[in-house]
Amino acid sequence: MTKKFSLTPYLFLAPALLIIGIFILYPIVAVVYYSFTDYNITTPPQWIGLQNYTQLVQDPIFWQAIQHSFIYLIVTPTLIVLSILLAIVVNRKLPGINIFRALYYVPVVSGTIAVGIAWRWLWDYNGGLINGALVSLGVLQQPVQWLADPAWTLPIAMSLTIWIGLGYYMVIFLAGLQNIPEDLYDAAVIDGCNNWQKHWYISLPGLRPQIVFVAVVSSLAAIEVFNEIFVLTGGLGGILNSGVTMVFYLWRQAFRLQHAGYASAIAIVLLLITLGFSILNIRLLERNTEAE
Amino acid sequence: MERAQTFAVPTVTVRNIRPRRIVETIFWYILLCLVAVITVLPFLWIFLTSFKGPQDQIVSIPLQFLPQHPTLDNYIRVWNQLPVGNFFINSVIVTASTTILNLLVTSLAAYPLAKMNFRGRDAIFYLLLATFIIPAQLTYIPSFILAINVFQYYDTLFALIFPSLATVFNIFLLRQAFKSVPNDLLDAARIDGASELRIWWQIALPVIRPTLATVAIFTAVVSWNDFLWPSLMLHTRQNMTLPVGLVALQGMFASDFRGVAAGVVITVVPILIFFVILQRQFVQGLAGAVKG
Repeated sequence: MTKKFSLTPYLFLAPALLIIGIFILYPIVAVVYYSFTDYNITTPPQWIGLQNYTQLVQDPIFWQAIQHSFIYLIVTPTLIVLSILLAIVVNRKLPGINIFRALYYVPVVSGTIAVGIAWRWLWDYNGGLINGALVSLGVLQQPVQWLADPAWTLPIAMSLTIWIGLGYYMVIFLAGLQNIPEDLYDAAVIDGCNNWQKHWYISLPGLRPQIVFVAVVSSLAAIEVFNEIFVLTGGLGGILNSGVTMVFYLWRQAFRLQHAGYASAIAIVLLLITLGFSILNIRLLERNTEAE
Repeated sequence: MERAQTFAVPTVTVRNIRPRRIVETIFWYILLCLVAVITVLPFLWIFLTSFKGPQDQIVSIPLQFLPQHPTLDNYIRVWNQLPVGNFFINSVIVTASTTILNLLVTSLAAYPLAKMNFRGRDAIFYLLLATFIIPAQLTYIPSFILAINVFQYYDTLFALIFPSLATVFNIFLLRQAFKSVPNDLLDAARIDGASELRIWWQIALPVIRPTLATVAIFTAVVSWNDFLWPSLMLHTRQNMTLPVGLVALQGMFASDFRGVAAGVVITVVPILIFFVILQRQFVQGLAGAVKG
């Protein structure tokens, strides 16, 4: 089977590897280097050793940002539960079900920016639908300043993430449900399972690959959230930095304040966190497959 | 009831199930409609608001949804103050060229990874796998500096197209698809003396056309909605894509919700039309993507 050396596969791979090399691999090396420098992009970087990191450890906003990014992880279990429930509902063979599936998918294709602007106005003090509805229903006496209240910044952003993600993950779980053989459910019914038990004992275990996928994808997206925060706070990060997440802080330091060195140190911490996260996910995945 | 069941099982169960079925079906439809309201209501509200004149209340008590004096003024105002036509054309250019070129580059790279034996194949594969962990925002700092100092394409559309020519995710999906192409088919062509490039183009690519379509749709949607990197690169109004322009519009029309609403509608409608036309491929594609 030994063939003569051929250049062909390498030539096929060359364009892709070139782009990935320039825009993914080189940046890692560069960011590591920048993180040890004082660098404002316009003048050459100055080596300052660990100074960015020591400053970072003492930076209260950075700790706040890490905390916010981890709080944001609440969206992952919420999305998994809600989108599985929704998938079970739309898996019924009802007339017109495709229209509903399509409707739920609308926020996914519309893009975070357009959707986020709509969401922001929904919570607006004067013109917002939520204040309008709650006041006219008599739930609230007066409109609430949702967007100006630091306590509400993250919950509103997370509600946006969930609203957008629901349709996307629903489709993934729907595909998983449709892969589960019908006779498993028939057997469960014969064994006396009711509707809920049926889903608990058959749907959930059957959806394991999809659950793992969604957990990994949505938790990484949550740790790296930016667009939602940007749109809802108008690029400011919310009152008292209440919406500043790791990536938002990275963006602010790098591209608003031109602190590329400091931002690179943030990027390295972010990388270490996502790395740890991925190892954890892989471990859990391995344990799950061993159990079978 | 119980007695009736024990005495006349066949007829009573049929009679009992029918009304229960109907009640159940109604319950599911109510649930489906409720979720649809949550997903679509903000859009509907934005859509209706974009046609409201200055006399129309955006939110009043009681709620007023329909514009009493429908007008196109908001669209005209947005159109006159911002180069919305340019935004649209720029988005089309970026999305079309990114999608076509990305598919060429990634399918070229995926083919040898799936169908050829060569030294370093596994090493390259695992290197690509490892890049999944790297947060995109980390790479933006060096990419930004490269854009200014090396490639000098800051504030041009090239800055959006060039870095997105190769995406690791697409290489994986296409590699998976190429693996299903029968080897006999390729070997037959090799015996006939066809070059690998011709085999890739004329035999392998046509076989994986469904996957190509799926990957193309997703690449296009991601490109159309991409915000963070384009917002870092595009400075002049005329050069902006729709999401970046929409944020500029939100800044300009800060308190003019009717104008912002018109902008959101202009941005969302093209992608929604695209979605409605290709809905089947969207949903099937997503399902397939997870299995891969």
